[in-house]
Amino acid sequence: MAKHDTPMLDELEKGPWPSFVTDMKRQAETHPECWDILGQLELSYEDKITHWKHGGIVGVFGYGGGIVGRYSDVPDRFPGVEHFHTIRVNQPAGLYYSTENLRALMDLWDKYGSGMTNMHGSTGDMILLGTRTENLEPLFWDLTHDLGQDLGGSGSNLRTPSCCLGESRCEWACYDTQDICYALTMHYQDEIHRPAFPYKFKFKFSGCANDCVAAIARSDFAVIGTWKDDIQIDQAAVKEYVAGNYPANGGAHKDGDWGPFNLKKEVIDLCPTQCMWMEGDELKIDNSECNRCMHCINVMPRALRPGKEKGATICIGAKAPILDGAQFATMIIPFIEVSKDNEYENIIDVIERIWDWWMEVGKNRERVGETMQRVGLPTFLSVMEVEPIPQHVKEPRSNPYVFWKEEEVPGGFERDIVEFRKRHAA
Amino acid sequence: MAMSVEEVEAAIIEKAKKAPKPQLYIKDFYKCAPDMKPRQIKKIANKLVEKGELMFWSSGSTTMYARPDRIKDEEGAEGIN
Repeated sequence: MAKHDTPMLDELEKGPWPSFVTDMKRQAETHPECWDILGQLELSYEDKITHWKHGGIVGVFGYGGGIVGRYSDVPDRFPGVEHFHTIRVNQPAGLYYSTENLRALMDLWDKYGSGMTNMHGSTGDMILLGTRTENLEPLFWDLTHDLGQDLGGSGSNLRTPSCCLGESRCEWACYDTQDICYALTMHYQDEIHRPAFPYKFKFKFSGCANDCVAAIARSDFAVIGTWKDDIQIDQAAVKEYVAGNYPANGGAHKDGDWGPFNLKKEVIDLCPTQCMWMEGDELKIDNSECNRCMHCINVMPRALRPGKEKGATICIGAKAPILDGAQFATMIIPFIEVSKDNEYENIIDVIERIWDWWMEVGKNRERVGETMQRVGLPTFLSVMEVEPIPQHVKEPRSNPYVFWKEEEVPGGFERDIVEFRKRHAA
Repeated sequence: MAMSVEEVEAAIIEKAKKAPKPQLYIKDFYKCAPDMKPRQIKKIANKLVEKGELMFWSSGSTTMYARPDRIKDEEGAEGIN
């Protein structure tokens, strides 16, 4: 494949920062099709329009996801990217893999594809960028048989579940994120590999409210670790922080010139619910007001720890701005036990209640968060059989109309709708 | 009386043959078996893909179903990922 003139792209190699153009030129030395990526991209810059088309019928037998067809709309000029399909490989829980596994995966991709990767996609998959249709089945065979790995989700499937590294390294994890991520990945193989829903559906598991996988912003079903009882306080360690003997934030910011640690300024005054205060030299917390922001625990990890009665909060309906704007997930279940002893039965029960409803009520290409917004939170809570609590309410109501169902009013009421409609047409 | 799986399969294939557009969303099949749960219909539609009666057509973000004889080639779709 010919090297193309790319004057505009070449500009992106100037300056002190890393350049994807330089990376792709280097890759083109062994995979000449990468020249055609650069050539087509230069053409897109000239034409101010993409020259990629994507989608179609490509895939591997038995699977309805994991591969996204991608084609050039100018294949005569750039034959190396006539087919340039994307493959999503299900990442290991917590993104733990050995260098041996990574090397084997890269060898596989050098053999069947362009060698270009995106580590990782926003759902968490390892993304292999650029191969031809005829390479898909042999690659899939080697991936599954030699490496013991599988494709992830795409399209209207359950997307590849992802999680933080959880209890493997983090003392704040309130449940075993990796175990539930793996267990539900296996439990829902059919939903991951074949389309099931009106649109995509994502699970993400964070061990605590620091939410290292941004579950609350990126997943339809966010399971975020929390605790039911009080934050554990070691008053002796609090004194050590005040005395400057323990570094704040575990020493993460120790190279900056922050001055001596100031408990009031750096912790108490920054508490979003103002639920902390000092009594003499003892730190007090009104735990009923704590909203699990994690700030105090992050700053003083040797003095403060999550409570002992651990579980998770379930938030539903986050999404990126494709049809409507971006939205955060809404807290639906404040506390749920997360236990491998019951094989996550209670979590599965919540998931399937959502699916049964959304598959029926959700419109095509409507994320569950958009369906929730369309029907309103009260309706969604009743579908989920969740009693509303004050924490579900974002702000005092501005709508003066209150609608009561008959069963909500003591004694009920009777109304003949036919008779009513004679006087008030719908 | 509830429809048998074979009857639902036949209704889905008929719908896929006659719909104005070759690609159909899973929801388009719900009316083929109004008394059946959507997850059950999904399983039947996916079984039809295994049998070669239907095939998947994906834009990358959304997956649809189509009759193989109504999809001509592997041209990509315009759309979002």
